[in-house]
Amino acid sequence: MTEAVGWYPVAASHDLPVGHIYQTRLFDCPLAIWRASSGEVNIWQDRCPHRGVRFSIGTALGDELRCQYHAWRFASGSGSCTLIPAHRDRPPPRTIRATVYPVVEYGGLVWSSIVDGESHPPIFAHGVVLRAIPVFRPAAAVEGALTSLGLRDVKFFVQPIASDRSVIRGVAIDDASLLEYDALLERLRRELEAS
Amino acid sequence: MDLVLWNDWHVVADANTLDEHRPLRTALLGVPLRIARDKGGSISISKDDGGLVHGEVRHGFVWACLGLPAQPIIDIPELGGEAKCAVSAGAMAVYASAGRVIENFLDLAHLGYVHAGYLGAEPNTMVESYEVTGTKDGVRATRCKTYQPIRRQSKSQDFLGEYVHVEYNYIVERPYIACFEKSFADGHRFMVMYIFAQPVDEEHTVAHTLLILLDEIWDVVQMRAAQQLVFMQDKGILENQFPKRLPIGAGMEMPVRADRTSVAYRRWLADCGVTYGVIRSPMETAA
Repeated sequence: MTEAVGWYPVAASHDLPVGHIYQTRLFDCPLAIWRASSGEVNIWQDRCPHRGVRFSIGTALGDELRCQYHAWRFASGSGSCTLIPAHRDRPPPRTIRATVYPVVEYGGLVWSSIVDGESHPPIFAHGVVLRAIPVFRPAAAVEGALTSLGLRDVKFFVQPIASDRSVIRGVAIDDASLLEYDALLERLRRELEAS
Repeated sequence: MDLVLWNDWHVVADANTLDEHRPLRTALLGVPLRIARDKGGSISISKDDGGLVHGEVRHGFVWACLGLPAQPIIDIPELGGEAKCAVSAGAMAVYASAGRVIENFLDLAHLGYVHAGYLGAEPNTMVESYEVTGTKDGVRATRCKTYQPIRRQSKSQDFLGEYVHVEYNYIVERPYIACFEKSFADGHRFMVMYIFAQPVDEEHTVAHTLLILLDEIWDVVQMRAAQQLVFMQDKGILENQFPKRLPIGAGMEMPVRADRTSVAYRRWLADCGVTYGVIRSPMETAA
């Protein structure tokens, strides 16, 4: 799947309590997303550089993430390896680090960009973040369907998961119509997946 | 297909589990197989087209060779008399390549974490330097010291509840078979364990294990149960490793000094010409 330039929402802020590691994908790239105790959000490739174990089965410990296989620790922010317990008597080689992606937390959503381009996510009026709706359809088809709804009090964004699937994320102006939007998106999902 | 794998013997079943009324279906190197045992006890292994495959029963396991056997089934010297007890510790299906399974079997640094309380524990998780030799015949890692709880496994009360120093020696002489022997610090060898990784296909493996106890003091039922629990702990790690196939080219993963056995094993697989279930260069990753 071809990565597109720009920023995409990959999680909601409320998906990321401290201590949790959220797992998702962007353009088929597996991501481990976690918030350090400092509040900083990290978006890393979901793979320890040592032996390829998913970071998302590991543990978030304050400002470090610990891999589940050999308990190597990686620092929030830089992704640098801070501890290799098998050799705890010496500092880890500086070349060992998690693959780190850009992060912007904005409007109740967490945004990332795999291909450099625009400097920031789209600007929009803040409100209430909708429940994310996964759809087994390509992002372009989902975007088209959302545009044709013609809604004004809600802003939709599409996270391309893989070539055949997406996640709809949205922000409504207030919580007056949350249930209505949720039902509408569920209906849209069923229609798209049936077509 | 790699001749080194095609013309070698692989374990495909525990001989004791075969039922004469119901053939066992499995696969080896992507080839579906049917293993049948008749009333007389003889075993036949056939492909879907009915063609027969070389099969033998040895060491309590059913072995198959899809091509022409280039060498005999491995010898297990301890079964000749030294073993006080030898049991299969189970055949475990795992969604991982055989190379990842073998590498995990050879790995020292995870024992105190993945198997905490069983094969190690913090804070004794340092890996001291050990000796590794890689030749054209395989890989040996010797004098691998570690610190383990020996408990609930002994019939006599002598070893209960204590952490003791143990030493591992690892041997790999076939691409997807490995063994270790375990000794106490005084040099007394007390167990030998084999793993026969059956490459079902490039990303699926059945791990057959053989536990050999060299003293009479051990409770084999407990040892077998502990071994199965330990493998289930590994399974959760193995099935979350990506890519599934073992990267054996340089620079795809980041080994440290504790990983010298893994480095030697990957290099030996490359030298043997193994391509099945492995990734030889980063360019293959996308495939």
